[in-house]
Amino acid sequence: MTSSLDVLLGFTQALALTMSVAFVTYVLLIVVPYLRHRPGPVGRSTSFEWHFVVPCRDEGAVIGDTIAYLRMNFPIAHVWVVDDDSDDGTVDVVQAWLDGGDTHIHLVRRFRPQARTGKGDALNDAYRTVKLWMGRHSDPDRAIVVVVDADGRPAANCLEVCAADHLFGDPSLGAVQVDVRMINTGVRQTGVPWWRKTFGSALVRMQDLEFRTAIAAIQMSRGVTGTISMGGNGQFTRLSALDSIAGTTGRPWRGSLLEDFELGVHLLTAGWRTGFSTDTHVHQEGLYDLGRFLAQRTRWGQGTMQCMRHLRRIWDSEHLTTLGAAEMLYYLAQPWMQLLGSLVYPIPVLLLAHRAVVSPAEVWTWFTDGAWILFTVYGAFGLLPFLLWGPVYRARCAPETSLLRSLAYGFGYALYIYTFYITSWRALTRLLRGDNTWTKTRRNTDRGLTVHS
Amino acid sequence: MAERNPGVALAGSPLVRHSDLPSRVVVLALLGASAALVVANQAYREAEVSLAGFLLGAIGPDGVAVVAERQTVYFGLGSDTPLGLRMTPECTSAFLVLPLLVIGAAMIALRPRITRRVLVALGAAAVAVVVVNQFRVLTLVGLVEWLGVDTGYHWGHTLLGSMVSVFGGAAALVLFVRLATRR
Repeated sequence: MTSSLDVLLGFTQALALTMSVAFVTYVLLIVVPYLRHRPGPVGRSTSFEWHFVVPCRDEGAVIGDTIAYLRMNFPIAHVWVVDDDSDDGTVDVVQAWLDGGDTHIHLVRRFRPQARTGKGDALNDAYRTVKLWMGRHSDPDRAIVVVVDADGRPAANCLEVCAADHLFGDPSLGAVQVDVRMINTGVRQTGVPWWRKTFGSALVRMQDLEFRTAIAAIQMSRGVTGTISMGGNGQFTRLSALDSIAGTTGRPWRGSLLEDFELGVHLLTAGWRTGFSTDTHVHQEGLYDLGRFLAQRTRWGQGTMQCMRHLRRIWDSEHLTTLGAAEMLYYLAQPWMQLLGSLVYPIPVLLLAHRAVVSPAEVWTWFTDGAWILFTVYGAFGLLPFLLWGPVYRARCAPETSLLRSLAYGFGYALYIYTFYITSWRALTRLLRGDNTWTKTRRNTDRGLTVHS
Repeated sequence: MAERNPGVALAGSPLVRHSDLPSRVVVLALLGASAALVVANQAYREAEVSLAGFLLGAIGPDGVAVVAERQTVYFGLGSDTPLGLRMTPECTSAFLVLPLLVIGAAMIALRPRITRRVLVALGAAAVAVVVVNQFRVLTLVGLVEWLGVDTGYHWGHTLLGSMVSVFGGAAALVLFVRLATRR
């Protein structure tokens, strides 16, 4: 029995060590190129035709401002609002713009029961409508479809940046994802108790830090592996690339809860390259509420788990290198590793706790004789991959932040990441139940809604 | 599914599936080896401690003896400070090799055409892990001889041993990924 326990302890310790070391190594490998990155040249936006697609469901409160923003900043672009049978005044707001005679604004209406079947379906409708509107003689290589959330604010330079020679100026490049930032970073909620203001503000800060440092660094490293992935907001895709994966039914977006990542998988396995840029960005609203944040991340986790079904496609593709396929496997394995980690990591701790209860003096002697050093070393290696993003955020994104505060951000980010252990289990539960219905991530001022996928 | 990609030259279908019996045998063999590392863990540790005894004997210290069935190597026999080091399940390299075997098996199962490359990478990384663990033992012995049993063992078994494990493990992982994924 003791021998079996020793083997179990040895195994779990080694597995924990391997997973931690792999993660530390990975983080150190991605942070260096991120810190070395310098802005690239821009291109001529007029070389392309731009179509902003804005999926909306009950977005009456924000869509008017978004249309105004897009038309003011990108006068050459078309704006396609896809209404998913909203119950609020979304259509009325868009109709008012249409009545104003702006020929660059378009409304794509969906009606139940065909509506509310998922964001991917809404985007597919928009894709088919844009194709019809453009006509047979248009040039799909020059047309770029830009997916923006209803509250999204693409930076004013985004078309010039994406038109650069190293991005859409390269005909082999099918899609570009731009950096995502939180528009309400540093903005506190009003009308809530002080502790909710403080927590909400910290949560938004962590989302900003996550997208602008860790996720951006991961995306840059994917430039080496050839596996840059797409996000749902600030996603630019060449129309001819969408055509190539749309199939006979005209559906480039598929049915998973992570339809953006799934689109990237299909583009990459069809032979397209994908790009990422921090030279421009899209602003979106960070979530103040922990419950809404956990719901959003559970959806992402479930979507990642669903995308495991593309593993064979990824590894069979001749267009992806083994390094690229391994990177995608690593990404898709993340929620599963979190599940495994939540089972494995506590075992040595529980066994130690058991020994401490059975023979406390022995454990205390062991601890003070040097085991504390082990705890310190492993604790440091467990914390370092998260902690370093605080100072990195200060260096690249928020130079006004003090070093001490940036370290606090790093600690906060470590805690923030631990929420993924919760969301991965929630995602697994939903997956096992076959539950693909989903509560749309609510805006900070919204009530909840349910969509089906 | 009809897919086309006018933007880039495609060499046939993007989906090419290989049915490769030898690669399946390799996958099963690797998974079997993984299981063996758990089931026959004691035998592995006996071999590991015998190797440590051989290396210790080769590089100098007198009075080295191995008691394989106790997974222990003794050194300093005949001196005032003889010491035995036991290769416990927590110290063995077996469980560091195991994840590499499982990952290698998964990679071969998913892309049979890289079987040879993954096997080379596995071999190199496994050797690296074993060497790192032997280096850890030798370092521990060196520190005990240099600083004495209490201080040398204390620092060797805690801080230095951990650092060797972490950096050695990282080096082995990088080596594995680099060799297994090179074009």
